[in-house]
Amino acid sequence: MTRVVEVPAHFDDRSFDQFAGWFGAWPPEERVLVDARGCQWGSPYGLVGLLTAGQALAEAGRERALLTVPASDDVKRYWARTGFFAHAAELFELHGKVPRAAATGPSDVLLDVTPIRASGDIHDIVGKIQEGAARILTGELGIEAKATMGFAMALSEACQNIVEHAGTSGWVAVQAYTFRRRLGRRVVVIAVSDAGVGFRRSLESSQAKRFGDRWADATALEAALIQNVSRFRDPGRGQGLAGIKRYLSRWQGKISIRSGTARLAIVPPWDEDVPLVDHLPFFPGAQVQVVIPAQHAES
Amino acid sequence: MVQTISLQHVLQEAVATPYCDLVTRATGAAVRGRIEAALARADWTITLLDFSGVDCLDLSCADEIVAKLLLAAASRDRVVVLAGVREEQRDALEHVLVHHRLAVAARFRGTDLADVLGWTSDDAREAFAALHVHGAADASALATRLTWPLERTEVALEDLERNRIARATGGVFHPVTLL
Repeated sequence: MTRVVEVPAHFDDRSFDQFAGWFGAWPPEERVLVDARGCQWGSPYGLVGLLTAGQALAEAGRERALLTVPASDDVKRYWARTGFFAHAAELFELHGKVPRAAATGPSDVLLDVTPIRASGDIHDIVGKIQEGAARILTGELGIEAKATMGFAMALSEACQNIVEHAGTSGWVAVQAYTFRRRLGRRVVVIAVSDAGVGFRRSLESSQAKRFGDRWADATALEAALIQNVSRFRDPGRGQGLAGIKRYLSRWQGKISIRSGTARLAIVPPWDEDVPLVDHLPFFPGAQVQVVIPAQHAES
Repeated sequence: MVQTISLQHVLQEAVATPYCDLVTRATGAAVRGRIEAALARADWTITLLDFSGVDCLDLSCADEIVAKLLLAAASRDRVVVLAGVREEQRDALEHVLVHHRLAVAARFRGTDLADVLGWTSDDAREAFAALHVHGAADASALATRLTWPLERTEVALEDLERNRIARATGGVFHPVTLL
């Protein structure tokens, strides 16, 4: 038996729940076939989430999942350019012709899909991204030059959630694109995903008692993102997400975190997202998306 | 006595690579460990953490290095000051210092600008700037310089003294050295 998991045509943070729903009870007993043939566009969030699915199935001891690549040449080329297929080949049995990633100059891909395994990976990422981030943030988004370091800080802190809390490795990708549907402006998006224990299990030992019967994925996210609590007793902990929120509030940015069966977001005025969504289809680990919009509409 | 510690140098020793970014909690803890070992070998009163050559500073490193060294210094009656700070690093430093209700004197890279970062009042910042630029003064002389009432000046100076950013000797307040 094979369980078919369809990748939505427009694969982003909103359609991710539909993708997660195809897996059913986690981990699925059957071999999984991830069908991306009909995908017309994949956001960084979608791509790192897709790798997380493959990773989580492998870590659950399931048979290597199958992945049919997108039919669209444009989509395949873009996925190849982000480095997605190179990593996917290690987690999935790929079906369909995969183009070689062409060497390119400056592009909208600020950071290829990159594995996060240890602190050193974050050093490499922060070192690598600053020049490109400055170009996009100041050149395209109209954000002052000194905010580039804040962007690198936010990226570092988002990635550290994997190293510090997930209990396994994860993925990050950063890209600039135009948010036509929701905003009509250029944005920079940081997407971070891991296949780890998730916020509820990470915080359970220190926070579950305080929440009592209410303890769940949603309350764990609330504790981490709204109340800035950490599983560590060190009073200096829990500042990472608080620092990201502070940076984003200055630039009307958005952060959303999905973990287990819930998603919590700090929603800026330009977005119509719901702050908290509960009872979603389960998906392993945690998925974080940070969006920083252009300060002015595109002319 | 002032001991100057180059954070860039310690960073590169700690991670054994030519990184210039102080990021991640693990890196911060490694850097702090080396600084604490150096401080334990000597009896310095003032430790100047020199940020020259450091690019990005994230909250985790600001917390592990600056906040934790300040907390340790407070219990041993030692002073920590910062130099070579980039304006872009101010946010991370302010954030962690406010979180811990700490304050520190800092000089910024490429300028003579000195400021107090963290959990302190605007008056204390202004009083420190006046002492830094025009030299030591007693409360009365500083009140005259700033055209403030004496009581307001005294409150600002108490704030600076409590954070070991200014030291009173015979009623005269000396700003901590930022050489």
